[in-house]
Amino acid sequence: MDERRIHPLILEAKEDLKKGNMSRRSFLRLATLLGLSAGSAHLLGFGALPKARAASTPITRGGVLKAATRIERVDHPARFSLVSQSHAWRHVFDYLTRTDPSGITHPYLLESWDASDDLKTWTLKLKKGITFNNGKELTADDVIFNFSQWLSKDVGSSLLGSLNYVDPAGQEKIDDYTVVCHLKSPSVVLPEHLYHYGACILPKEFGGDITKEPVGTGAFLMKEYVPGERCRLVARKDYWIKGADGKPLPYLDEIVMVQLGDDPAADLAALRSGQVDTVIEPPVSLWEGVQNDPRFSITSTPTAATRVLRVRVDQDPWKDPRVRQALKLCHHREKILAIALRNQGTIGNDSHIAPANAEYCKDVDPYPFDPAKAKQLLAEAGFPNGIDVKLNVANDWPESMAYAQVLREDAKQAGIRITLNPMPATQYWDGWTEFNMGITWWSHRPLALMMLPLAYTADENGKPVPWNESHWINSEFQALLEQSQGIADVEARRKLMCKMAKIMKEDGGVCTPFFMNVWTITTKKINGVEPSPEEFAIYHKAWKEA
Amino acid sequence: MLRYATRRLLTMVITMLLVSMLVFAVVEIAPGNVARNILGAYATPEQERSMENQLGLDRSMAMRYVSWLFGSDWQVSSRVGKSLKEIKVSQGTVKGFSQWWAVDDDGSLIQWDVRNGNLIKLVRQLDGSTVEQNDDAAWQTDETGRKIFWGLDRHNRAALWIQGEGGTEYRLEYSGWIEAKGAPVDYIPLSKGLVRGDAGISLQFKRPVSEVIGRKIRNSAILAGLAFLFAMPLGIFFGVIAGLREGRLVDRIVSMGGLITAASPDFATGILLIMIFSLKLKLLPGAAMFLNDAGILSQPRMIILPVLTASLVEIGYILRITRSSVVEVMQSNYVRTAVLKGLPYHKVVMGHVMRNSMLAPVTVIMLHVNWLIGGLVVVESVFGFPGLGSFILNAALYKDVYAIEAGAMVLIVLAVGSQLIADFIYSMLNPRIRYA
Repeated sequence: MDERRIHPLILEAKEDLKKGNMSRRSFLRLATLLGLSAGSAHLLGFGALPKARAASTPITRGGVLKAATRIERVDHPARFSLVSQSHAWRHVFDYLTRTDPSGITHPYLLESWDASDDLKTWTLKLKKGITFNNGKELTADDVIFNFSQWLSKDVGSSLLGSLNYVDPAGQEKIDDYTVVCHLKSPSVVLPEHLYHYGACILPKEFGGDITKEPVGTGAFLMKEYVPGERCRLVARKDYWIKGADGKPLPYLDEIVMVQLGDDPAADLAALRSGQVDTVIEPPVSLWEGVQNDPRFSITSTPTAATRVLRVRVDQDPWKDPRVRQALKLCHHREKILAIALRNQGTIGNDSHIAPANAEYCKDVDPYPFDPAKAKQLLAEAGFPNGIDVKLNVANDWPESMAYAQVLREDAKQAGIRITLNPMPATQYWDGWTEFNMGITWWSHRPLALMMLPLAYTADENGKPVPWNESHWINSEFQALLEQSQGIADVEARRKLMCKMAKIMKEDGGVCTPFFMNVWTITTKKINGVEPSPEEFAIYHKAWKEA
Repeated sequence: MLRYATRRLLTMVITMLLVSMLVFAVVEIAPGNVARNILGAYATPEQERSMENQLGLDRSMAMRYVSWLFGSDWQVSSRVGKSLKEIKVSQGTVKGFSQWWAVDDDGSLIQWDVRNGNLIKLVRQLDGSTVEQNDDAAWQTDETGRKIFWGLDRHNRAALWIQGEGGTEYRLEYSGWIEAKGAPVDYIPLSKGLVRGDAGISLQFKRPVSEVIGRKIRNSAILAGLAFLFAMPLGIFFGVIAGLREGRLVDRIVSMGGLITAASPDFATGILLIMIFSLKLKLLPGAAMFLNDAGILSQPRMIILPVLTASLVEIGYILRITRSSVVEVMQSNYVRTAVLKGLPYHKVVMGHVMRNSMLAPVTVIMLHVNWLIGGLVVVESVFGFPGLGSFILNAALYKDVYAIEAGAMVLIVLAVGSQLIADFIYSMLNPRIRYA
């Protein structure tokens, strides 16, 4: 830790930890967020470092890892809006930070970060000597360029909503390896946002299409990228991280990712017959197919990932909050969880805050299943004969389809007559913010603070942010959210989250009946793949038994 | 014979032309226009108009049909006043994408851009970069006194700029709408047209349809071709055996077998075969996974199960048609006469029965070529096989119009082509049909 200043909030938090107000994980998260390395945080909080688990078998180099996934159409990483767009490119590009599987964020391309006491000025220090795969060194200018891409309206970045607290003109170059980032309002989540899947670090000469300029600092080189079919990544010889054997990572020679079409049965057949080593973002049906098969190692992780049923609150018939409540009362949550996820998940309360989020509030109970009450609310809202609505749903996502079908049957009793409009996911994504009613895929984020500003806020002109698909804007909610973004103490933030969850449950334009577990499934031959609640595929340290 | 062939070929060309009009018209009048399909139901009229303009959909249907079939570069060339050149560029992982340039008087390749009312000429250098030059002298004055210019923009479109009047361009990205001011007021997308091998850009993949569909056709052709080569001789052989021994035990067994394979749906057969050969016996791969562009050719084992699945249904079908045809011929007077005049049995079969009983199977087989190529959707989906059937299905679901049109045209060429071959085979089997 040398003589570097320790942020006063860390010392306060340490007191909290001692008094038991703060969990071990929350303390580590906060301390590392505010610029302490994970090792130092451990020393400060608990006095000793946990022992690193020794690898059971010696690492072997070489080999090709084959993965089944979707090969998406991509251009600018800042515009990524699906995790699946990032799987392949995560190996070509690096991020400034990295959130580990236990939710703790570490510097990655960064050497360290440091927040001012008011949490409004962040100093980001880069590691030295990291080169792009075209030989150019990574410097502060590149980092500033990337901020400009994320914050520019012309790029249409998916980070624009989450980074709304960053001053677009507030990045200052101190020297070649130091950038100071000024915020418009205090925030503690900057390092975690820097690990957003779209926050790939590009060189400042970037022209707008990664398939044409696959120039990154990552461990692999993109040799082939054919959307809808396949991509091939080949190891770079001079990656900046060393492996356990002292030579540069990665251990693998090659990664091949293949899209096997839209039928999960083909993925399962390929996995079970040994043609692929893993299936990225496996659906529940795939997990069922291999759960008892001893040839696979399977890790199950609860997440904040969900399928959000959202309605446009600026359009009929959803303008009246009572209509939205009626819809929520039609959810038989246990049944939906059982049918859509085979109970592999947790129940949600229609706020987009999951039990897997650090600041989850357990005091807000979900609406019970009560179609009679729903019918009454509809009548009060001026729909005594019920409503007819069209639910757009992507038929590539089986759990969305199952959810939609259960809801359609249960909502009939309340007079909500739902017509399903299934379509391929690609088509759903092309209009997802525009549908009157639809079920949207939302990925996991470690903190609710990272999720909520993306989809439930307005920009400075009072217009919904780009991903606000329900167009729901609530000034009380937004004020509480802004307030909580400046609060480092998890307990204090949890109190605000309780209020926010209640507002969202009663007034919001979304239903979240469940949060999903995810699985990392690989053949036993593959080692060193870290499970990730975000379902990121990370193969930098993966190795294959010969 | 030559006259007959010429006439048939000419008819084929005319048929193709008529059918292409039909395909274009059907896609055209199908519910929902292209811009709406791309934008979703809640796009504003301005956004929709901007998108239609950019895609060239605001032009008349006849013009668009001509552009689709014969290209638009020659139409644009006269407006720009320069000849145009399409070059193929490779960059990063993107191989051979098209760039359209105008050829300047000195032979250099140029595009244009307008910034702050100034016309800028982008001159392509040898390394692919561009050098900017002011080109304000090229503005032309129209009858109302406005300064206008037709040129090529940087996205393979001819664009009409009007000085001082910026159009508003809307683009839809994954994250939402992007609005750009100062854009051209009219566009004509550049293409070479279907007859010159350019089927447009796929809305789904943002790649040329011809590039994507080419690989799918090859994959499907190999799958269908092998299934065909496997199923046809076996089907005919067993059909003839069963037909010659009508009512006997061999016929019963063969007919029943044929009925079973023809009646089992291919998804059931496919999954059964995967379970046996791939999961239980671990002999063959269960999914068709193409790890490189060579695809099937580099991993021939992958094709075995899909071919088997596709052929089993076919074998049953061909077998039953052949059998009934052979039975019918066996009962005819000339076969009875041939037998009665003492011709050896094998001569009766080879000389009379085979030749005469092949007409019906040939018709069915040729009609099935088309089904095999385009109709293998189920087999392709079970094995994750990247073929034409699933390509057209996805294009239809996505309403990727250029892909649907190209896919439909490929299937029609196959249908008409296989029918032509069938006709030639008929005339060889039965000379009486020859010059009809």
